[in-house]
Amino acid sequence: MRIPLLAIALTAAALATSAPALAHHAFAAEFDANKPVKLRGVVTKMDWINPHSWIHIDVKNPDGSVTNWMIECGSPNTLFRRGFTKDSLPAGAEIVVDGYMAKDGGNRANGRDVTFRDGKKLFLGSSNPDGEK
Amino acid sequence: MTLRLIGIFALAAAFAGAAQTQAPSKSPASAKAASPAPAASKGVPRAADGHPDLSGIWTNVTITPLERPRELAGKEFFTPQEAVEYEKTHVRNRDDRDAIKGTNADVTNAYNDFWWDSGTKVVKTRRTSIIVDPPDGRIPALTLHRQSQLRATADARRARCTRPGCGLENNGQPGPADGPEDRPLMERCLSFGNAAPMLPTAYNNNYEIVQTPGFVGIDVEMVHQMRRIPLDGSPHVASNVRLWVGDSRGRWEGDTLVIDTTNFTPDTSFRGSDENLHLIERLTRIDADTILYRFTIDDPTAFTKPWTGEIPFVKASGPLYEYACHEGNLGMTGILAGARADEKKAAENAAKKGAN
Repeated sequence: MRIPLLAIALTAAALATSAPALAHHAFAAEFDANKPVKLRGVVTKMDWINPHSWIHIDVKNPDGSVTNWMIECGSPNTLFRRGFTKDSLPAGAEIVVDGYMAKDGGNRANGRDVTFRDGKKLFLGSSNPDGEK
Repeated sequence: MTLRLIGIFALAAAFAGAAQTQAPSKSPASAKAASPAPAASKGVPRAADGHPDLSGIWTNVTITPLERPRELAGKEFFTPQEAVEYEKTHVRNRDDRDAIKGTNADVTNAYNDFWWDSGTKVVKTRRTSIIVDPPDGRIPALTLHRQSQLRATADARRARCTRPGCGLENNGQPGPADGPEDRPLMERCLSFGNAAPMLPTAYNNNYEIVQTPGFVGIDVEMVHQMRRIPLDGSPHVASNVRLWVGDSRGRWEGDTLVIDTTNFTPDTSFRGSDENLHLIERLTRIDADTILYRFTIDDPTAFTKPWTGEIPFVKASGPLYEYACHEGNLGMTGILAGARADEKKAAENAAKKGAN
């Protein structure tokens, strides 16, 4: 009896303290929860801007025209520390972005999940930073 | 209602605050009692002047929460096995984030956990909270005076909030933004509230300490804040001078570096602290890989009693990267554009209702 109770407490505690970390700024102020969007496109460039990098992709529209979308992402510092470099996401790579569109209707979205064409997640895995021994 | 308000402010403070205070003063007896200096072991590296050498790059990343979760009430330390279980559950839950799509909570969480760097382990001491005093590991209650002050501020902001979910959309701020000045200090890149005291946040939990006989400097990687700590016995600056990371003065007490900080700006707050905050930090190098960091929040007008936390800083490799926080400035533009879009939509809805 003692062990299950303790396990429940540990689980509850871990859940209670792993609430989503807020982004540096309020994404919900910028992007619309009612406008989820799935974009398939080709990377044209990546801006290594602190603390939110941006991936630019060309997305082909149903009528054949192409729109360049900007996808807001996280901090370059974290990526550098994980060994992610400018070569990790080259121009021309095809990716799929699940995110939310900008409230003002601009061609911007936040990248909730970014995957390669084969379904492999572009960014995956927990942090494994220095000092955690 | 009061609790909810405080919750909002605690949230905002956690991400947007630093601290503040006023007159230079000595550590109060209560704060001192709460922070006995641990002894540095004899083998630690020492600087030429004989003091322990704190210089180098350190990290305090951890999943150990500031406050002890209610479920762990009465439990100060994990056993090794419990620590492993807690870590596994915490990380699995974070990786399998299943916030419901189409909610503000999901939008706010922003993206895959890969972009964060908030740790996978509890602190080496296996404490269940960073707070060590009060013994329940929880932040003491705010004073009634401070509660009513925060409530008044929130009410003023809320008057502008007309939509459900408004507070969440605004990083815990109860009202929408009319301009950059209304946004949290964090979004304005002025302070992330993690430099004084130095506590871990979502990523960039790295610090570089430079130590000389007369001066200690600390580069806090998150938002690139610099702390300048004279050790020359000079007094704090005049009380009308206010700084985002406060005015720090250091001294050695045996093998422990004690940093005494006052004079924070009145616009910042750490977990509800106000302009009278007096922050006392103690850094003790306890072995080759570890500095034990203790901090005491002493602010009698904001908290009903002082409180103290403890977290190890562990040796890390560099370099620290620059945090050019408003580089590009795209986020602020997007936020304000979002607020204008919301207003337009609200006006259209109102006009429709009027027409009906």
